[in-house]
Amino acid sequence: MSRTDTPQKKPVTPEQVAEVMAHAVATGDFVNFRFIFAPFSPLRNDSTESLDHPKYAYLLPGSEKSSAFEQALGVVSSPEVLNHVMAQLEKKGPAQYPWQPLLLLADNAVRLGKFTMASQAYELLRIRRRMQELYLEMGDEAIRQGNVSRGVLAYRVACGLDYDYAAFPEPLPAVPNYQHTALILHGDFPENPEQALPLRPETELVRTGLVYLSGNAEIAGRLDAFDHEIRRAVLAEWIRTADGTWSDFAARYREAIRMVDAYNQRVREIVENVGPHAVEMALDPETARLPIQAQVLLSGRTDEHQEWWQCLKELAASHPGGALFVTRAVVAGNREVLLPCYRSDSPLAEMVGLADTKAETRAVV
Amino acid sequence: MSETNRETGYVDYVALLGLPPDFKPGDARRVYRKMMKDLLVEISRTEITEERKNHYLLEIARLNAAFYILRDRERCEKYLADRQEVMALEEEWRAHADAPQQSDLLRRKFDQALRHFLSTYMEELMLEAGRDPECVECSNWDAAHERHASRVLRHYRQRLYQIIHERLLYYDITAPRIDWEERKETARATLDVLSAASGAPASERGAL
Repeated sequence: MSRTDTPQKKPVTPEQVAEVMAHAVATGDFVNFRFIFAPFSPLRNDSTESLDHPKYAYLLPGSEKSSAFEQALGVVSSPEVLNHVMAQLEKKGPAQYPWQPLLLLADNAVRLGKFTMASQAYELLRIRRRMQELYLEMGDEAIRQGNVSRGVLAYRVACGLDYDYAAFPEPLPAVPNYQHTALILHGDFPENPEQALPLRPETELVRTGLVYLSGNAEIAGRLDAFDHEIRRAVLAEWIRTADGTWSDFAARYREAIRMVDAYNQRVREIVENVGPHAVEMALDPETARLPIQAQVLLSGRTDEHQEWWQCLKELAASHPGGALFVTRAVVAGNREVLLPCYRSDSPLAEMVGLADTKAETRAVV
Repeated sequence: MSETNRETGYVDYVALLGLPPDFKPGDARRVYRKMMKDLLVEISRTEITEERKNHYLLEIARLNAAFYILRDRERCEKYLADRQEVMALEEEWRAHADAPQQSDLLRRKFDQALRHFLSTYMEELMLEAGRDPECVECSNWDAAHERHASRVLRHYRQRLYQIIHERLLYYDITAPRIDWEERKETARATLDVLSAASGAPASERGAL
């Protein structure tokens, strides 16, 4: 059998390196940026991987060049940066990244909402905490000036740049884990209405909500400096903006409230006319299914056999703020379900579009 | 940089208990008991939130570790020697910053020693101290505290590592020249861009 020679790899030019790096910087892609310097990177002349292979097409910029790409290319093409990059690509061992494109990458990543990418780049630059502080200060300033939406945005960026130093085995960017934290919020079954999370005193609910949504008690604690009304407005804005489809959820929530209202009315009638012992027998099957259908509406799924905690996880993952307006309850058939619930004396539910003016019930007991 | 700044991160248990350099184990015991008593009184008078719980748990663990290490002559000598060694390694690395090959070698040696120092004295021995009968008696530390503290201590160790890391020489990237006025402007402009994007319909908002 004859041995065929491996085709010779074309030498990688500085222009190609600059284009690839500028693309990673413009798209805020920290992973691609690091890959450029990896031992098996197609940009290394001593690597067998070739940039011409279609599998590396994602590293190259498209035909349309954005202004961010042009700006990045300007930074990367400067002799100081490009010479350093080329020298690192020739060197054996771990590369030393140039700081200028890395800083630009982090800024672009924040603009594109790629917070974990941004936080890793800022962490490498050792300015992550100060950048976080900068956004928090801007958030405080905006809130003081009455611009709550800008303030919340700044706070959300700061939270996005958070790092989890307790992550195993190495510190990692902190990411929201609402499906887990929502379960902790509803960990104890409310034995009486006052114990239900949405029915607790509003100040307590607002504080809990801010800690839950920010995922960082220290950052949420900064907001204690503001009046309760402002903090309530901040929470409402955070709930609305943390979720791109909040209005769809709000419509489903209001529908669920109406279902629970109909169920409660029927139960009340039975209790008044016959007595509490007759509820199970006197309820018609259709009314008895209403709370389960309400739970299905809240989770956004069609499965009626889900447990309350499955629904809560679904709800928290897709609509994080929704977990603050539900409670666990036992309904006919001794089944535990998740039901909509909010305080009628608090404007919070109305501020986030959950309050249903047609329904009588504000709280599920 | 002052000597104090250079020492930041290498927790000094002798200073934590406020002991003189020539202290005796009996001094450590007396001071520890008083400080622990004061701390427990303070905790009993404070409304405990999740944030404060973690803070106090760490404070108790630090005091327990200080006493547990300093009361035993052998353990104490090893701790002081390890602390001196890791600080000396940092200085040595700094002194050879201009020689890339040697610098890299020294950095790796220092990093290894630092990780060992922090994991031993800021985590392992802190947990071990919580199982010591005398510490348990004074601090009421139990298995539930240990379960909760393991995460708090891991966080504490990594935070100390980051604090030390932040003041060290840059090796994984070129030393950045950060203009904080420019940073402020960039952050402001970024918020403008994000504000404009969040005003757009939800489908066009992208990751935000």
